[in-house]
Amino acid sequence: MPPLPDPNAVFLNIPYDEEFHNLYVAYIVGLCQLGLVPHLATEIPGGDRRLNRIIQLIQSCRYSIHDLSRAELSVAASATPRFNMPLELGMTITWQSLNPDQHTWFVCESEPYRIQKSVSDLNGTDPYIHNGTPEGVLRELCNAFPRDRRPSVPRMLEIYRFVDNNLDAILKRNGTSDPYDRGVFVELCWLSKTLADLTRLAEPTI
Amino acid sequence: MPRPVAHITAPWPTQEEMEKSLHISKARKKALQPLVDEFKAQLSHLEEVSVASIAPEKRRKRASAA
Repeated sequence: MPPLPDPNAVFLNIPYDEEFHNLYVAYIVGLCQLGLVPHLATEIPGGDRRLNRIIQLIQSCRYSIHDLSRAELSVAASATPRFNMPLELGMTITWQSLNPDQHTWFVCESEPYRIQKSVSDLNGTDPYIHNGTPEGVLRELCNAFPRDRRPSVPRMLEIYRFVDNNLDAILKRNGTSDPYDRGVFVELCWLSKTLADLTRLAEPTI
Repeated sequence: MPRPVAHITAPWPTQEEMEKSLHISKARKKALQPLVDEFKAQLSHLEEVSVASIAPEKRRKRASAA
């Protein structure tokens, strides 16, 4: 039996593509401002089979967010549907159904009603609709994770803009163009958490 | 259909807990410190603007109420 999950940890099941990077940054900034700690499959070291590492990460997190907004075919020559996110959602649903007190999962989409077509087995599960915008992600995170003493969405958006404006510098420092790189992810989380703490001390909260 | 909502009972994590969870090195934190300082400067500027934008009469009332 795995140890109890970290009560503030959130597993992020998101697409790792260039078009998604602004929503990825918004998820990190938003979760950190709600006093939660994001986790990504790329941060776990290699050695074991990738799927085993993902299962361990899901089990170690109290919550998970599954963003199915980019489940469409890739634009590459051999257009291929993306199965990773639904697969990881399925693994999570199984884990949660066996351990209902230890995990809660959320589904996010950019368009209302599309999920009924793409994953009709999820009918009866209403997704959080972020409209494909960073502001929408921050808003829906506040809806999914209600918390006392949280900042307002406009304040969260200011921090998002600051972090996103500095993403290139963080990428350069890490010698990569991949925002999902482990080092970049860790730095984005630390920066977001530090800025969140600064504003929480300085600003009135909701 | 109501959507699931998290019922968070855990306290807000401290900076130390967050750093332990992320396994972040001292070198990374040091490299990011200038960005934190830049944000702090912006934040204090915003606060000054916000205080200055409150009418003097309101400020006096708030001060006397406090």
